[in-house]
Amino acid sequence: MRYSFKSFVCTLCLGVTVAALSEEFHEELFLRPLRDGKVSARFSFSTLLNGAVPRDPETLGAEDESQLYTLFPLALGQILREYAVTELHLTLNAGKWNYDRWGYPDEPGVGTGAELWAWMGEGGIASVDNRWLGLRNALAGLFCASLGSLDEQRTTSPVLTFQPEGSLPNSTVNYRLRHATLPSEHVCTENLTPFLKLLPCKSLSGIASLLNPHKLFDADWHGLGMHVRYLEGAGVEVRLATQAVLDPVRTSSDKRRDWSLSAIFDRRIEKACPVARSSVIRVRLPQNETYAIVPSPSTMDSIYATYLVREMEKPLDVAILWPEETKFVYPTAIEPQTHISVHRTLNGASQHAGHLALTVTNNHDTELQAGYLETMPWLLQFYLHTLHAEIDGVLRDDLVKLISYTPALPHVQPALLQAVLTLPPRSTMRLTMDVVKPFLAYTEHPPDAQRGWDLPPAVFVPFASQNASQIGSDPQQGAVLSDVRSTRMYTPVLLVDLATPDFSMPYNVIIMSCTLIALIFGMVFNTLTRKFVVVRVDEKKSS
Amino acid sequence: MIAIPLPTLGQGTYIDENALQPGQVNTYWHWGDVHRADRYLEALEALRDRNASSTEIAGYLVAEFRRAGLAADTQEYTFTTTGGSRTGVNTYAVSPSPRASGTEAMVISASWLSRTGEGDGTLNLRGVSSVLSLAWFLKDSSLWAKDLIFVVTDGYLDGMQAWVTAYHGVSQPNLRAEALRLTSGVIWTALNIDYPGHSFSHLGVFFEGLNGRLPNQDLINSFQRISQYTGGVPVLVYDHQDSLESLGLPSWTPDIMKNSDQLKEYGHRVRNVLRHVGYQARGQASGVHGLLHQFRIDAITLFAIPATGPHGFHSIGRVVESTLRTMNNLLERLHASFFFFLLVRPTTFLKIGSFLPSAILVSVAMMLRGLREWVNAGSVWVPNATPGEKNETIGGPAYNGQWLRRQRPVLKAIVIMVASHALGMVVFYLLTRPWYLHDPIFAPLIMFGLPAIAPLPTLLLPKKEVTNEAPLSVMLKSLNLCLTSTVISILSMLNFSLAAVIAFLAGVPLCYASYSTNVALRVLRYVVHIFLAFGWIVLLRGEVLKAISNWELLGVWFAPFVCVVYAPLVLQSAVVCLLPTEG
Repeated sequence: MRYSFKSFVCTLCLGVTVAALSEEFHEELFLRPLRDGKVSARFSFSTLLNGAVPRDPETLGAEDESQLYTLFPLALGQILREYAVTELHLTLNAGKWNYDRWGYPDEPGVGTGAELWAWMGEGGIASVDNRWLGLRNALAGLFCASLGSLDEQRTTSPVLTFQPEGSLPNSTVNYRLRHATLPSEHVCTENLTPFLKLLPCKSLSGIASLLNPHKLFDADWHGLGMHVRYLEGAGVEVRLATQAVLDPVRTSSDKRRDWSLSAIFDRRIEKACPVARSSVIRVRLPQNETYAIVPSPSTMDSIYATYLVREMEKPLDVAILWPEETKFVYPTAIEPQTHISVHRTLNGASQHAGHLALTVTNNHDTELQAGYLETMPWLLQFYLHTLHAEIDGVLRDDLVKLISYTPALPHVQPALLQAVLTLPPRSTMRLTMDVVKPFLAYTEHPPDAQRGWDLPPAVFVPFASQNASQIGSDPQQGAVLSDVRSTRMYTPVLLVDLATPDFSMPYNVIIMSCTLIALIFGMVFNTLTRKFVVVRVDEKKSS
Repeated sequence: MIAIPLPTLGQGTYIDENALQPGQVNTYWHWGDVHRADRYLEALEALRDRNASSTEIAGYLVAEFRRAGLAADTQEYTFTTTGGSRTGVNTYAVSPSPRASGTEAMVISASWLSRTGEGDGTLNLRGVSSVLSLAWFLKDSSLWAKDLIFVVTDGYLDGMQAWVTAYHGVSQPNLRAEALRLTSGVIWTALNIDYPGHSFSHLGVFFEGLNGRLPNQDLINSFQRISQYTGGVPVLVYDHQDSLESLGLPSWTPDIMKNSDQLKEYGHRVRNVLRHVGYQARGQASGVHGLLHQFRIDAITLFAIPATGPHGFHSIGRVVESTLRTMNNLLERLHASFFFFLLVRPTTFLKIGSFLPSAILVSVAMMLRGLREWVNAGSVWVPNATPGEKNETIGGPAYNGQWLRRQRPVLKAIVIMVASHALGMVVFYLLTRPWYLHDPIFAPLIMFGLPAIAPLPTLLLPKKEVTNEAPLSVMLKSLNLCLTSTVISILSMLNFSLAAVIAFLAGVPLCYASYSTNVALRVLRYVVHIFLAFGWIVLLRGEVLKAISNWELLGVWFAPFVCVVYAPLVLQSAVVCLLPTEG
């Protein structure tokens, strides 16, 4: 009784403050069983700062207004104000998203490693690049990630692919995009802990209490994301997202795909987050299969089951069972779940030259187009004139429309290649390009274990071809494609072997041979130049 | 060279890379997995018994990989060589590792044909069953940091060549292979499983790759330790049994020799070294793993030596699991340990510094000999026509003459050398023609006759008088020795065994090739040399065919090297014997 009274008061107080500062916190967990027995889980925690406007860069020199937040993460708010960031997206992912089997991810940013992009207005005393530098370092500190390495050698501005997701205030100001990826960044507990600290309920209650590092980091794929955007008329929204692909078949002893929150996260929801305006668990239901879902959801239609966490009996442990299956049988062939499938490989065994090859398959019966973006560090330099497209061995360079290309400058800036590919229905295009691997200055080699350099993923944006939409008679097809619009697809990262000296070996050899040569030279020189004279000691003089 | 296998030489192997930590993990491969392997074996035996085609087998394998939940595919290929064409179908599956970016990969492979008898038709059914069962087992761990690629190749070497070249996007003119639809990252290490018998007593390690390439020794050492301590299976170098009887000493040898431990040890080592030299000098891969070395992949073959027991799927599964776990620890490529070594016993090896001098010493001796000939060619001792006229004051017969400087006909000698190498190229060109392959009797004789008869007209050259120009034979010998010495020393870094064999074969004959006034002696010496140079065309037809097929299929440069470099060098020496000397 006492406990519930206390919590009631607490909730009331918090509720009052929330209302006063006009902050809203929503949390959602979306669970989706996948074709290969795995489960995709997406956590989304959004905090809306009602009526707030991103800082105008012109005011950067002046003193900023005071920041009083209740739910909105202060540490992040300070960074956003300090560098006048309008829109910001940071993702930290581990693993390779399997588009063919898992379909489009619920959060589009699934490139391996760290990816950071921000839209910032120009003006004021600090340039965009200076603020980008500060932003990187501040976020690196906040998330314990090596974002500081996202320097000029990795920063590009691919505006076609990374359009703002919110709105940009004050249209008189020019907005600039800065984008950088660090594919070799690993995501682990040290990133999750500061991430959870940004949440109003931490991982103590509500949906966030399911974020158990032991299970999350044992998933086949996992990623953290932070998205800040300005919504015209609403305010500034911070959305923290966690996405994971968990494999109940692997972890279960009898190889079944039945899952429950306690099985995949090893936790149940013991209590709701008191400050959350909404707290929802949505489950996508299996289609054309016999299944059971427990406990019975708050609302349910043929596709989704929805649980309102606050109203459900605690502890809450959502589960889907396939009672007729004794063992999960993998489907022998899984149709690709996305409109296009992309494979990218780096061929060639030499340490000087190589060959970049992409195969892009259109899995649809209509013609599609796809934006193709490469942001390649100068560790791999393109020979753009060797870029060729082939379909079934026939050269089809006419299907590649080059939008822009900024060549890489060694030691300074990465290459930026943006193109639009036209993909005929049900066909596979093979794109090839010769590349050259440069020599690095010896100070540019990292001091730690040398395994090669990770190269960032290429990004594809499939969209309906203009021809197809004109001809397109099937409205459903059109709807599917418009749904695809602006969904980014990331290819897996590549590893490039550059010529690397074995630093310890030459050092030993040089020291050894120098010593030997010095000794031999000394002896020989001494023998050659010394004059041996028989000195007769005069007995008379000595006596 | 004789000293190389001495028991006192060599040192124990050790793990150089700290990250490897071999044998430090618990293995989880259990009897359920063994059972699954047995079921697969039954299915494969059924396929074998009804003479299933490659396509049928590949279809079965790919379905099984997919049933395990892996992305799998097949690859068809056709090789066209002068000996005919070979087709086959490879099967492979990629297991993407949880959380890994998929930039690095390890390969577990088995070829359909075992390496027994160089792919003479013995099937590697148990090896293939192991790979299938391992695919089910290994994908269930989340601890892999690298992708796992399971490959079952058709044929013996041809299947893997088709697969690995397609994986690296390298095209070969005589190979038509499907492009791979599934790929992973850079392959760092590979284990090839070869398990032809019913059970096995030892695991043999085969490591020689194409053109004499070797994998990093850490891989062999880790496997040796894991097999010994985790799997409980003793390891052998190749399939050489460790028993004392197997040395094959004749019965008349005295007991003291038979019972000498030192001698036995020496015998074992000699056997291993000779086997190694046999593979490496011919540039031949000692197993399917050898084809991977060309792409900087460290690979070995685990050969389950057929025996009545006691080991089976249980042991090989544990050894492979633990070895993969060890390689999974790698943060960088294997680089710490030796790439040049001579494994004389499973745990004893020779560093390059211990064995390289043997070939280099021969090479240096040849160089000095060549330089001496060069100096000799520069001047000649002419006895005085009228003794006692000039040198009366000094006296003595030794001083009864004078040194004359003379010119060296370098150009003529070089023309002969270039011509002999060109002749070698012609021989190589003809050897790779189909008519040579199809005619086992006359073609070799014609091929042998061509280079053997070509230099004979030099016999007709008139005997030269002493002039102020050095005789051609001396010049030729000098340059020939210098060139051979250079070739040997360069080669010893690339392929020690080949350099050692050439030093052994050509060292003495080339140094002692001399010119005689006796025509019969000249011809006799010439015949000996020519047999040394080109005798293999007639005597070792099987070897020739194998070398040529290796060149065409796998790009092994042993055949062109022998034709274009080695044989012409000996031929030059033969010409030295043939050339008339000065009166």
